[in-house]
Amino acid sequence: MTDEEKKMTELESLKLINEMIGKAKRSYITTGAASIVWGILIVVCSLLTWYQVYTKHAFGFDVWLLIFLALIPQIYFSISEKKKKNFISHDEHTMTYLWSTFAICIFVLSFYNSKFGADGDHSTALFMLLYGIPTFITGGIFNFKPMILGGIICWVLSVASMYTDFATGMLFMAACGLFAWFIPGIILWKKYKKQQSC
Amino acid sequence: MFKELDPILHSQLRLAVISLLISVKEAEFTFLKEKTNSTAGNLSVQINKLKDAGYIDVTKQFSNNYPQTICKVTPRGIDAFEEYVKALQSYMNPNGK
Repeated sequence: MTDEEKKMTELESLKLINEMIGKAKRSYITTGAASIVWGILIVVCSLLTWYQVYTKHAFGFDVWLLIFLALIPQIYFSISEKKKKNFISHDEHTMTYLWSTFAICIFVLSFYNSKFGADGDHSTALFMLLYGIPTFITGGIFNFKPMILGGIICWVLSVASMYTDFATGMLFMAACGLFAWFIPGIILWKKYKKQQSC
Repeated sequence: MFKELDPILHSQLRLAVISLLISVKEAEFTFLKEKTNSTAGNLSVQINKLKDAGYIDVTKQFSNNYPQTICKVTPRGIDAFEEYVKALQSYMNPNGK
């Protein structure tokens, strides 16, 4: 665009508005790295818990404390992504509040379980119920089907875990980490790499 | 009766800038330059016109020792944009069907 005051027809104006809104929408790109890290941690922690229950061999520490390790790469990826960007989208603003709400709810539920004691075999159902909420909403906002499906899988497995023992519930939780975050994260990462190479 | 098109918005680069800013929460000058393929000088002039009309807010700051210009659409800018789109629609569909 070089003309300082170039006038347009009404149709050209509408086309330009559509083009610019489309360009802005396509500018929001995420590497998917945070989703991959979170997915790996949920899968690993769930499988380690399942292994402890199945073999009756305790590691001597709470493997779910590994979740706090996820905060380090999460903060790193978040800062490095922010540095590369020269705009803030409306969706991104919504995402910050949505995932912060999720983190607070997970923390409060963990605190509740540690204070009052988890409901034996079925406390995993509540965690999987929570996993599904931000995943489904994020998928819906960005029209990203793998995350929509991931959210639904979390809810289905949440209900299924009410009919199983704790060890099987842990396998279901590993499946949640895989379908809700790890696989969608890999898809996002591939998309990001493809766009970078263009 | 056709609605009059807002002369501030009915210009290619200014309309492109306001359309981009409507779509995001806020954007740096470099984002607008990159998406509109405009020159820095021309873009700067058009941004000032939008700012003078009260359609956008412009904040200048330093980030890592580099100057940074951040633009954000104002509520007045949103209203003007909505009116502009309505006016365009009345031209495209004069019978209102």
